[in-house]
This record gives sequence, structure tokens and C-alpha cells, in this order.
Amino acid sequence: MRGCLLAVAMKAGKRLQACQDTHDADANCDGPDLDFVYADVDGYQNEIAELYSYTEFSEFQMNVKAFEDQMELYDLPPNWQKQDPAAQRGIVMKLVDQLEVSDRAFRMQAARCILYLAQGCWAEVQSDEEQHQITRDNVLVLHKLGVFASFIDLLNMEIESACSPDIVAVKITNVTLVDSTDIRVILSVLYIITETIRDERERGSEDYKELAESFVQDINSPLPDGELLAVKLLGMITRFCSGAAPQFPMKKVVLLLWKVSLLGLGGMDVLKNLKNEYRLKVGLEPITEDTLEVTKCMRASSPPATATDILENQYPKRNFKRSLMKQRFLDEPEQIDMEMSGNEGQNNANNGSGNGGGSGNGEEELSQYYRPYDDPSSSASSTTSTANPNNQPSSTQAPAAVPPIQITARLPWTPKVRQKDIDQFLDISRNKFIGYSLIGDHESLAGLPQPIHEGFKTLQRHMYLSLADVQIKKEEDIARNPISTHEDEIKLTPAEVLYQAILPNLPQYMIALLKVLLAASPTSKSKTESINIMADVLPKKMPLTATQSTKLTVDMGRHKEIIVKAVSAIILLYLKHFKINHVYQFEFMSQHLVFANCIPLVLKFFNQTITEYVNTKNSIPLLDFPSCVIGEQPDLSGDSFVYGGEMSDKPYSWRNVFSCINLLRILNKLIKWKHSRVMMLVVFKSAPILKKTLKVRHAMMQLYVLKLLKMQTKYLGRQWRKSNMKTMSAIYSKVRHRLNDDWAFGNDLESRPWDFQAEECTLRACVDRFNLRRYPEATQKCGNNGTAAQNAENAQQSNMMAGNNGMGNNGSDVNGYGNSGGNGGNNGGHSQQQQQQLNDYGVEGGFPSDEILTHSDFAFFGHSGWWDRKVELTDYFKANYAVWLEEEVYNSQTDWDAL
Amino acid sequence: MKMADGSTILRRNRPGTKSKDFCRWPDEPLEEMDSTLAVQQYIQQLIKRDPSNVELILTMPEAQDEGVWKYEHLRQFCMELNGLAVRLQKECSPSTCTQMTATDQWIFLCAAHKTPKECPAIDYTRHTLDGAACLLNSNKYFPSSVSSHRVSIKESSVTKLGSVCRRVYRIFSHAYFHHRRIFDEFETETYLCHRFTHFVTKYSLMSKENLIVPINVGENAAPGESEA
Repeated sequence: MRGCLLAVAMKAGKRLQACQDTHDADANCDGPDLDFVYADVDGYQNEIAELYSYTEFSEFQMNVKAFEDQMELYDLPPNWQKQDPAAQRGIVMKLVDQLEVSDRAFRMQAARCILYLAQGCWAEVQSDEEQHQITRDNVLVLHKLGVFASFIDLLNMEIESACSPDIVAVKITNVTLVDSTDIRVILSVLYIITETIRDERERGSEDYKELAESFVQDINSPLPDGELLAVKLLGMITRFCSGAAPQFPMKKVVLLLWKVSLLGLGGMDVLKNLKNEYRLKVGLEPITEDTLEVTKCMRASSPPATATDILENQYPKRNFKRSLMKQRFLDEPEQIDMEMSGNEGQNNANNGSGNGGGSGNGEEELSQYYRPYDDPSSSASSTTSTANPNNQPSSTQAPAAVPPIQITARLPWTPKVRQKDIDQFLDISRNKFIGYSLIGDHESLAGLPQPIHEGFKTLQRHMYLSLADVQIKKEEDIARNPISTHEDEIKLTPAEVLYQAILPNLPQYMIALLKVLLAASPTSKSKTESINIMADVLPKKMPLTATQSTKLTVDMGRHKEIIVKAVSAIILLYLKHFKINHVYQFEFMSQHLVFANCIPLVLKFFNQTITEYVNTKNSIPLLDFPSCVIGEQPDLSGDSFVYGGEMSDKPYSWRNVFSCINLLRILNKLIKWKHSRVMMLVVFKSAPILKKTLKVRHAMMQLYVLKLLKMQTKYLGRQWRKSNMKTMSAIYSKVRHRLNDDWAFGNDLESRPWDFQAEECTLRACVDRFNLRRYPEATQKCGNNGTAAQNAENAQQSNMMAGNNGMGNNGSDVNGYGNSGGNGGNNGGHSQQQQQQLNDYGVEGGFPSDEILTHSDFAFFGHSGWWDRKVELTDYFKANYAVWLEEEVYNSQTDWDAL
Repeated sequence: MKMADGSTILRRNRPGTKSKDFCRWPDEPLEEMDSTLAVQQYIQQLIKRDPSNVELILTMPEAQDEGVWKYEHLRQFCMELNGLAVRLQKECSPSTCTQMTATDQWIFLCAAHKTPKECPAIDYTRHTLDGAACLLNSNKYFPSSVSSHRVSIKESSVTKLGSVCRRVYRIFSHAYFHHRRIFDEFETETYLCHRFTHFVTKYSLMSKENLIVPINVGENAAPGESEA
């Protein structure tokens, strides 16, 4: 018997290897859950260390040299700590004075000197703690004496001098570290001050309290030249991407932009409070369900794994089931069982470590699949994570008698339903039972049978009205009755200030951010790069020894990762803040992200061995600041220090998990409720990529992947669903339920419009109306910046060609879903439409080219935002329009039945 | 009340006021001043009474917010410095002083532009005074509309005073090192540099080493005179 079972298990194992559910295939990744906790930022020390590349190591000495020279000039001993506070202030004041001197070398000496002070006078201390202490003390003094403002002046000068023609002559690929020496000093000082204040504010340090508040105010208001600091930095990125300033050190710029934005706008806590505050203001109940908290209590779905696991957890039931089934369906029930058993095994392992409420026990987890739905909103539970998430007045104030284990026994989220869904439900019911529709009536149940009443009540109990709904409603009212509807005063919140400031150039900024993100993505091929983000790592002299080149490779990997981290964090932060500030601000930004090909870009990012990316150790702790300058210096000639990273305590890279989650969240934000963008997920064949991403064992990350899969499940075809039952179960158990959403088995494909451009256009029209009404001047500027449709044709062609060789896997596995039989009658039409859709997006076989679509290319999407303005046709087109007419209009056959 | 005397004192220079009558009105105790600019009025009154009594002028009345006190003084300095700028214009032109220097060691950049640049000394003077006026009168940093009196000033705005002092002081030093005659004339009348030095030292708005115009702190005589 045992031998027989073993054989079965082995077979199962083999089949697993071959089966389509690829995330089951890799048994090796079955480790414990990552103990990664998502937060606004990593630890302060890491955030500071990431500012410097390892190649900048030698420059630390220049700082201390500058300090010593300067102190000699003042006839003082070169020891900062020996000076009393008054003397220290005096020194800083003199240095600031020197920053306004016209001699560049002399000015930069003062700047370096200040950098050294901001770095915590590391040459005088013995430990990291001491260094940190001095940094925080010095930042206090530096900020009080106006150093931040002075350095912004310096930054202005550097930006200005970057425009001078003699510098532009340098070839982009030849730019190295030395070309950005001065500007890096300036950005470093700005970054250290910002990050230190941000960190101290987070900790609630008393002595920083006042300073931090005034600093935040400063950041949120325009500089003396009328520009916001964030806008200035975005401008730098745009300038860099245009090739006009290849020496700008992008990593430091995006890091500073991120921290400035984070400090100015506020992180997760601020977002949460603001959202509730805004909701209360418009008469909605606050939200109590916190994604972060809920996912903390969730466990990652585990791929099962080894044959022995399966062996040890044989359930008789499965064998019974199996005997009833046709041979070809064998895999799925097995997978379900395996997940359970996997969970159980993992649980037993985890119980000891007991990380929070997450480690419920196996039996509870098991029962998740069988237990009838237990409505969390009606059960008395006062745990913050689940209490009354749908904002229904309820009697959930009972004391917390429920042990956390029970939480895992039911669905983690309260189901929601939108007003739209209720209306649809009513409409269908009315048509069925009384035979006519009552448009605009959300309540009347007359003539409907009792069960419909009950259903309606349940739906209403779970009705969720979002802030966006209210804002859209308000916009509609204003559009309908522009005179009589009163618009509330627009409060100049930080997000509002930022939006108004970036509105005129928002498209360019988004393109620039995405370009940098693309260049830093591990999957991008840097051959035809128009920008070189490596300029601020590459030393003038290329490494000679093997050790040095290993170090440089690590450094470059690290550099890219940090850029991805910062850019993804910036985009997510902006999206989130705009979303609660006004949904159309969010829509404007997201539409531009979508136009600039953000969706395929992110998918491309995940089209790598993601588990590897998450585990990459592109860091050498010994070379991180301040370890690299404090205490005994490691032997830099040896080979051993390079691999010191493996000794680090964490089995994953914080920044990479952080970036992944950010990117997934961005994708979710862009796509949620946007049918046309969901179709982009389908068109770009995201499902296999996303499924691979599920291998990372982190609940929050998986949740966002599952959400993305859920949106497109019904378009993936029955075959896909059949072979991915395990993923389907995971979606069921982890993602919030929408009560009458037929996500898994929906067959309303026919009824959905295929005219996606129309959908985007409608949205665009709303957004434009909103922008024109609220910000007429900025919107005009924004429109005029577009160079219209001139390159559209070229862009389309290049995209189509590039699409063909864009990704390795898109040509062959087209049949993975949708097309592969068993899809019923709509199959033919479906695939044809899909192909049509691909063409619409300018891709025939998957991803469009690596390129981010630039501004002028938008016309290619048919909704350039200037669609109501004059279209300029190229001369070439004008000369040959007859041919075009012949080919595209007269000879083009449209299969109207298929549409 | 005043009607009983038959005349109300209007502390205002009416059109047609003769120069000898300019600002010639009797002093008023600070407590009785009820205008929106009481502190300014008080400071100007002290200056008018005896510009050489720097110590008294800078003595802060009790119950006065220090931020406001510093702010009002700096505003007064900038206003009076315009007098020096006017005199300098006679002698200091972009052709004679092409750069803003004090001692010849350093050339200073004019920070009044989007990007700091090298302006001729007289332009530096004008730009800096204009910039200071803009900043000090900006409603954003120093709002006056909140209440009729400036009660207090945000800490973040007080930090801006330091940079104004630093930039404005270079006007003194330029005048001293390059247009000594004008400087001395002006200083004898107003004791402005003396007062300014006192002021920035008292509130440590500038580093002592940067105060390069020799002033004998504690002496009432203008240094220009004693050294000339």
C-alpha cells in the first residue's frame, strides 16, 4: 500500500512539474512566508545608506578634507564635537555665507563641509549610533540657519548651468560619476536633511516637532521662484529624459523627490486619516478595514510541494473523488487538497514562531473551504481590522471576546456591493417579475417576491459608497446645473497644491517617471536606451580586477533597484493622494500613465524570475554608509567582503519586495473598474506572469496579484479556470467579494462593449471638463504643450514591429487560454476581437515596444486629450491620402457580426 | 478725548509738509499706540529721538514677542538702507563696481534671482533690498491680516530673517570698503551699521567673523569717524 501511494505521489509530482499551473511547479520556493512588513519606507539607516553608491566611496574622504581645510581657514581645530553650540552655529553661518560666493570651488568646499556635518562628522565617531546622533543634532542647526534654502539656490544654479551648451556636448553614454560631483553633494545634503526630519517626525521627537511642522509647510508651498520643490525635481527628471542633462544623478533626484513628496503629502497613516476625514465631511461613514492590517493576519498561499507532503496528507476523500472523475480533470481537486495539506504542514512549522494573528492553525484554515459564509459585518467582532468595514450602523461595539484565530476562519474582507450592482439586480428582477423597468428608482420593491426583497436587503446592507462616487456625482451635478450648483471651496491641501503645480506638465512628468522606471527595470534591454541612468554609478576608470568588477556589478544592480523603489513609491503616493483629494485628479494622472504604456511596463517588470528578484542581495553591508567609514576598515582588496550580503539576516530584499508591492498596487489602481484596461491585462497576456508572481510568499503581495487575476478571470476562458483552480480558490478566500459579481464564471462577455476607446474617451471628457472648470489656465497650457499627432504613424509602426519581438513567450503560448477549444460558441469571435484589440493597442503579439509612448504618440490611442482640437496631418499623409482612403476605408472589411 | 484739547494729533505726513516738520509729532508711549503698526512706530520714535542710542533702540519692551521685534527691526533696517542705496548710486555704478565685493577676496552672488548670479554691486544692493522688502512684506511668511497687530511670527519665518541679514549686511561692507566717504557720512547721521551690527550680534543672526566692518561695540561713536 505504501509503495503504491509513493508511486502515486511521484506521478503527481511529475505531473505537477508539467502542469500549466506554473506556480505549483517550482517546489523549491516553498519556504516560510516572508516576514516583510509593508511600510512607507525602510529603516532610516537603510534609507540613508541607499543614497550613496559604492563607487562614491572615495568622495567621503573629500568631505572630511573639505571640513579640515575649512577649519584651518578659521583657525580652529578640525573637530566638530569640541566646538560649543554657539561656535558651531557660527561656523555654519560662515559656511552659509560662503555658499553665496561666486567662486565655484570655494562655494563647493563650503557645500562639502556642510555635507560632512550632515553626515554626522563620521570621522570623529566610533559607532553608527554616535554618527546618527550627530546627524540629527546637526540637521537641527543646519535647518534653523537656513541651509536647506541655500542649497536649493545652489541646486538652481546647477540646473541652470546644466543648460549651457558646452556640457550637452558630452555623449550620453560617456557620462560618469565625475560629471555630477557637485550636484550630488547638493542633492545629498537636501536628502539627508529631508530624510532626517521625516524620520524624527515619525518618531515624534520633541525637539524636532516645531521644525518638522515648519519644514513640511515649506515643502508644500512654492519656493521663492514660485516653483514647488517637487515640481523642480520632476522638471529635472524630464530634462534628464529629454537628453538635455545626462549628468543629473537620477537616483538621488528620485530619492529626494520621493522623500519630499512623502513628507509633504504624508504616508499611509495620513492617507488613512485624510480619507476618513473627507468621507465624514461628505456624510459617509469612516472606513475601518485597513488593507495592511488585514493582510498582516493573512497567510500566503503556499504552493505545495514535495511528494512527501502529499504522501503524508492523503485524504481518503480525494481518492474517492478521483474515482468519480474523468482522468483529465485529475489535477484540480488534487491541487486543492494539496494546498490544504500544504497549509497545514506550513502551519505546523509556523506555530512555533507565532507571528501575530496570522498563524491560525491548520484546521481553521482547512475549514475555510467548507464553512458556510460567515458574514463578518454581522458577527460581533471589535478587532479593528474587520469591525464594521462597510460603515453600516451596527451593534459591533461588543468587547473583543473573539480570539484572533477565528478571524482566519472566515473571509478576511466584508463583501461590498455598488449602487450600480443593486440597480442592475433590481432591474433584472423587475423585468423578470413585473415586466418593465423603473429607471432611476433604487428602492421600490413593489410586486417583487419575498426572496428578492431579502436579496435586496442583503445587498443594501453591504452597499459601499466610495468617496469617488460622491465626487463624481458632484461633478455631474455641476455639469448639469453649472450656475445653481455650488462648488465647495477648494481647500489648498498639499495634494491640491501639488496637483495644480504639476497639471500643466503632468503628461511629460509621467512619461519621464516611467522612462526612468523602464530604464531601471531588470528586464529592460539597455541597448537602445535614450537615457543612461547609470551615469551616477559608473566611475571614470572602469574596474580592473575581478573583485572590483563584481563590486561594480552589485553596485549597478543595487542602483537600479533603488531607482525602481523610489519611482514606484512616488507614483503610488501621488495616485493615492490624488484619489482621495479628487477622483478626477487621480483619473487624469492614471490616464496619462496608461497612455504612456505603464500597464505593459509593469507587466514586463514582473516577467522575470520574480522570486529571484525578491531574494536578490545586491548589497554589500560593509560598504554601506556609515559602516564604510566608521571603525575598522574592511580589507577592500579581498574577495570576501563582496559576498558579505549573504550574511544579512533577512532572506529577502526589503526594497525589492517593496517595489513589487508598489508596482502591483499601481497596476490595481490603474485597472480597477476600468473595463478597457482589464482587457489590456488580457491582451498583454498577464495571467502567466502574474501567476509566477504568486510564488513570492507574502500575503499582501499575493493579494494584489490575486486581485489582478480576479479582474480578468472571466476573460481567460474556461480552460484556464479549469487548470488554475487553486488560484481561483485563493482568489475566493483572499480577495474581497463583490456580492453579485460573477467574476469567475461570468458569461456576459457578449454584452460588454468592445469599444474601449469610447470608454476612455468618456472618462477623458469628464476629466477634461473637470480640469477646464477648476484650472482653466493650467489646462490650456497643458493642451498647448502637445505637439499633436505628427509622429503618430511612425510610433504605431514601430510599436507594432517591436511588439513582435517584444517578449519571448508571446508568440507560442497564445493558445494558453481563450482559443483552446471548449470555449463554446463565442470562441471564434472572441479571438478575432482579441486580435483586433491587439491591433488597437498597436501590438500584434503582446507587448508594445520597450519605449514609453511619448507625448506626441498619444494620438495613436485615439484619445489624445486634444481629440476635440484640430488634428494636423503630415505632409506625407496629405500627399497620399487617396491611397489611405482606398486601403483603410473602402477595402477594409468589417465583420459587423463579430462586433 | 483729544477733542477736549481742541486738536487731535495726526501722526501723519500730510501732502505739503515741510521737510523740517517731517515726522515731527510728539512721542507716544507704546501702550497707547493703537495703530496696526505700533511696534514699528515705537522703533521709529526711538530712532528719531536719538539714533546713536543703539542700546535703547534695541531694548525690547516687556511683553513683546521676540520674533515680531526682530522682524520689525529688520524691516526698519531695510527701509533705512534705501537711504544708503540712494547715496551709493551717485558713486557706485555697474561700470565702477562690476561685482559685489567687500574685501576683494570674495565675490558674492545676488540671491534675488531664480538662479543666483553675479550682479554689479549697485544692482546687488537694489535687488537685495527689493527682495528683502518682498519677503518681509509677504503675506505668506509674515501675515498681517490674521489680527490687527502682529502678535507672533511663525518659527519657520523667523529663520528667514537670518538670510536677509546676511545678504543685506554685504551692502554695508561694500560701502565701507569701496565707498568709504559715503559710508561715513551716512553712518554719522544714522548709526545704521552700528545698530545693525548690534542687532545681529544680540540675536545671533550672523556669525561674528562675518561682521567685517569694524565697529567698536559698546561705543556710541560711529567707527568711521574715529578711524578716518
